[in-house]
Amino acid sequence: MAQVFSRYAGFYARLALIALLVLTTSGVLAWRALTAERHTVNETVEQPVPFSHKHHVGDVGLDCRYCHASVETSAQAGMPPVSTCMTCHSQLFTDQRMLAPVRQAWISGQSLAWRRVNQLPDFVYFNHSIHVAKGVGCVSCHGRVDQMPLMRRTETLSMKWCLDCHRDPEQQLRPREHVFDMAWTPKDQRSLGIALVQAYRIDRAKMMDCSLCHR
Amino acid sequence: MPSLKRGTDGNIDDGAAAIGLIDRRTFLKWLGTSLAMTGVTACGRPPEDSLISRTRDEGGREEAVFYATTLCAAGEAVGVLVETHQGRPSKIEGNPLHPCSGGATGPLLQAAVLDLWDPDRSPAPRYQGNVATWTAFEDQVLTLLDRYRNDGRALRVASGPLLSPTLLAQRDALLARYPGSRWHVHDPLGEDTARQGSMLAFGAPFTSRYALEQADVVLSLEADLLDGSPAHLAYAAAFARRRRANAGATMSRWYAVEGTPSLTGAMADHRWILASSRIGDFLLELARALGVDVPADTASGIDPARMAALLDDLTSHQGRSLIAVGRSQPAHVHALAHLMNARLGNVDRTIRYRPSDALPVDFDALCDDMHAGRVETLILLDTNPMYAAPADLSFHDALRKVAHTVHAGLYRDETGMACQWHLPLSHALESWSDARSTDGTTSIVQPAIRPLYDTRSIHECVALLSGATEQRGRAIIRSQWSQLSDKAWESALREGVIQTERPESTAPAPSNDVAAYWTHATPSSPLELLFRPDALLHDGRCANNAWLQECPRPLTQLTWGNAAMVSPHLAAVHGLANGDLVRLGANGRTLTVPVWILPGQTDTCVTLHLGYGRTHAGRFGNGVGVNANVLRSHDTGWSCAAAIEPAAGHVELATTQSQDRMEEHQPVRTVRFDASHANTPREPNATPPSLYAEPAASDYAWGMTIDLNACIGCKGCTLACQAENNIPVVGPEEIRRGHHMHWMRVDRYHSGTPAAPRTFHQPVPCMHCEHAPCELVCPVGATVHDSDGLNVQVYNRCIGTRFCSNNCPYKVRRFNFLQYADLDTESLKGQRNPDVTVRNRGVMEKCTYCIQRIEQAHIAADRDSRPIRDGEVVTACQAACPTQAIHFGNLRDPGSDVSRTKRSPLHYVLLAELNTRPRTGYLARVENPHPSLDGEQA
Repeated sequence: MAQVFSRYAGFYARLALIALLVLTTSGVLAWRALTAERHTVNETVEQPVPFSHKHHVGDVGLDCRYCHASVETSAQAGMPPVSTCMTCHSQLFTDQRMLAPVRQAWISGQSLAWRRVNQLPDFVYFNHSIHVAKGVGCVSCHGRVDQMPLMRRTETLSMKWCLDCHRDPEQQLRPREHVFDMAWTPKDQRSLGIALVQAYRIDRAKMMDCSLCHR
Repeated sequence: MPSLKRGTDGNIDDGAAAIGLIDRRTFLKWLGTSLAMTGVTACGRPPEDSLISRTRDEGGREEAVFYATTLCAAGEAVGVLVETHQGRPSKIEGNPLHPCSGGATGPLLQAAVLDLWDPDRSPAPRYQGNVATWTAFEDQVLTLLDRYRNDGRALRVASGPLLSPTLLAQRDALLARYPGSRWHVHDPLGEDTARQGSMLAFGAPFTSRYALEQADVVLSLEADLLDGSPAHLAYAAAFARRRRANAGATMSRWYAVEGTPSLTGAMADHRWILASSRIGDFLLELARALGVDVPADTASGIDPARMAALLDDLTSHQGRSLIAVGRSQPAHVHALAHLMNARLGNVDRTIRYRPSDALPVDFDALCDDMHAGRVETLILLDTNPMYAAPADLSFHDALRKVAHTVHAGLYRDETGMACQWHLPLSHALESWSDARSTDGTTSIVQPAIRPLYDTRSIHECVALLSGATEQRGRAIIRSQWSQLSDKAWESALREGVIQTERPESTAPAPSNDVAAYWTHATPSSPLELLFRPDALLHDGRCANNAWLQECPRPLTQLTWGNAAMVSPHLAAVHGLANGDLVRLGANGRTLTVPVWILPGQTDTCVTLHLGYGRTHAGRFGNGVGVNANVLRSHDTGWSCAAAIEPAAGHVELATTQSQDRMEEHQPVRTVRFDASHANTPREPNATPPSLYAEPAASDYAWGMTIDLNACIGCKGCTLACQAENNIPVVGPEEIRRGHHMHWMRVDRYHSGTPAAPRTFHQPVPCMHCEHAPCELVCPVGATVHDSDGLNVQVYNRCIGTRFCSNNCPYKVRRFNFLQYADLDTESLKGQRNPDVTVRNRGVMEKCTYCIQRIEQAHIAADRDSRPIRDGEVVTACQAACPTQAIHFGNLRDPGSDVSRTKRSPLHYVLLAELNTRPRTGYLARVENPHPSLDGEQA
């Protein structure tokens, strides 16, 4: 009786397995690359104007709310109109080349389009105002913005990351008066957090509702 | 191997040459690779989002902003609030300060926002079918109009009814500039019979306004006060206020006499079926019984016991009764009703008269002149006679005899196609205007967004035509209201109502000489054909509105098409079933239509609804249903003699409800009115034990109660829900498969005999069961309870098993079998509510109690560390309801409005025996029949 398998059958089988492995791996890698987030954590995002939070917040000492004016009242923190930039820059650095797009926008009336750094999926409804009201500092999500020459995302913004805090809000809460303070550090976060959950009437059952963020 | 490289002949073009380079083997390789890559590219990264910095601070951009304005729908101007998100109008709410709205809207106004974003709107002027410019129009037409400066007799303008005082003033200016020219009014749904009736009775046109709060007894003769008539929102609210079965309250009693079922008839305590042409005889009989000197007549055939009961009610409630006549009745019936209301002492009590400033409808005069060649230039403003003119006027032929034709409209419709010039008009949400409601309230129309296309408002067009110096919309309106100070103007814009003194009218004395104007109707044929406006499309102007097309008609639950309504008896005589085709003959023309068997229809009447059969409405409205105007004639506008004969063929009509009997479950419960039992506390029901886990106690437990005694079945809630919650339309094919998506459906039931049934409406949203059967069967936890006790649906978890829908006893869950949400049409995206997820294919969805509104209230209250106040959360359906039939709030708060309704003895829940403990409950309908007629069917 003749051999059922040729002497190279084993070789071909191994080759096929290796090819399958390579194909699967490259497929997964390609898919991940294509569906990955646009910017990774800590990757700076190029903007029409290289706006430096480090300069404006860290050096000049502007309050967050000077530009992000609706952060205490609205879901969005709010992007400042060009007129806010021009309160200073109609007098300061008026000849700087990098400010040309701002002046251009001011003269032409065309809006400035900034690229989004912190982006959530469309089915997630995040509200800035309630987080600010309940004592979540800007730093908790946005990092030390006052030390960033160019803006970057410091957290993953994944659902797990959201829930880490929603399950255990004590670890991040701070007194309301320190929400916008970049450098504030607690002495004893755990006992402060427990007190603030009580004081700010944070409904822990509601914090885990799906409907809180998904509508 | 033969290669394609060689080709077939020498003349290979570039494309074929490129193909030729690939041999079979390479082709297969690429095919395989591209297939493999398809799977990869299917999942792309989300599009990059930009944050826009506007140049100047305009304030309030982040949250929804509401603007007060006025919308005209079904012949009435209603004050509304337009909700805008980042400058995009997305939703219409009623304006509580406007007396014609009172905060309510109803279905037509809810759907108006979709017209703004309609992708089929006309974007640019056209001349002879080619895209043109406004400048070209000005150059050409203004030179043309110059020749009419001395003699304008050959210049005619036609428009719809003029509700705007500014447009009336502009009309005068235009007619003065072109002496001898005429402005005609075309209104297929006009109240012209009422106007003529007033001329017969008083010798002058008056509009009647009913004070239904004051009326203990209301007799409606085809007057669809609750749905079709102008001011119906205010009337429906007044109706509901007088029908509350509170302790010590006196409930009004309604009688309806009609040939074809209406929503008013469905709500009346007594609905008597009478052929439309016999209603005049009925009124005459009643007048004689009341002692009015009237000519002798043929008997109407109404049961003497019924007549005696009605007479008893009318005579014992003098000054607190009302006889209302609908526009489908001839002028002399209106005139007699005026006289009888005066005799009953109702004038200035339940009925108030105001001199009418509406122009008479004289479109037939225009057509005569056109046929006679007396019209050289015709300008049609926002009216569509090519579709809507009665066939006997043969407007189509008449238009050919006119040398120069101009049409201005929101769409390039049938008339726009037939005219030389077509000018695109701005939508009401894009333009400045003003409007006067039928009760005399005036209000400003202000834009909520700049025009999306190269359009102008009707005022700007008329200003252009009459060579006015001011042609900017806002300035035209402001100069019309120049008597208002800047402060008063600002407040009129903010409040949506112009505070002006309304002249007190003196009640005129009606003519006593009934014999002088009474004309005896002599039915020439055993069968009458009745024309009625469609409940949602009305005259068909909004036929391209997919929300209106897909919303089930209140009495038939039909969508996407019309049908001839026949009585069960007539259907049996001709052997007809729903959807069978018949040939209707009237006025010498025939039309083939499907039939729909409508319980409660008169055996001698067939009803056909207007508004369908459009040919140039747009992608949604084209070819839906049949055009009833083909059978209509201008002198017998609302009814005519007809013949019916079965035709071969059958059409499967798209309906959303196949079962209309309640069977043993009695989803709608009724009780007799009894003032003494109204405040009897209800026995607390023993709650049966359950194996379900009890939910944890929390501060809030949202609940809803729907008052079936107030619900008139208008479907305003269905459309409000659709607009608020980004609910897609699915089209007639999917409706036939039962795949409709409305989260808030309104069921319609009949009880009693098919010939004379009682009709009930029941809105059914999600019940938000405390022990929800849907939650137990979901394998992925996509439907769960939240801490407020809401049954929520998590779209991003749902994998589409549909187990939940199968386990739901109320059938309120809706599944996206296909990609129903239109993600491609750019303009439709503008309408969507940004606070609600747009669902994709394969996801279950259902009523959320407007969770986005609840969460916004939660956040607003939590920010201030206070509890949510009662009435702070208003669901979309609740806000739209004209009769405030929907109560919503926190059940944990015993003082809340909804908690009070839950304690009512009338409260019950659907399928209580299943122990699902629904949070949505109902208040039973209360009937108040005349004691001597108690127990009669209908």
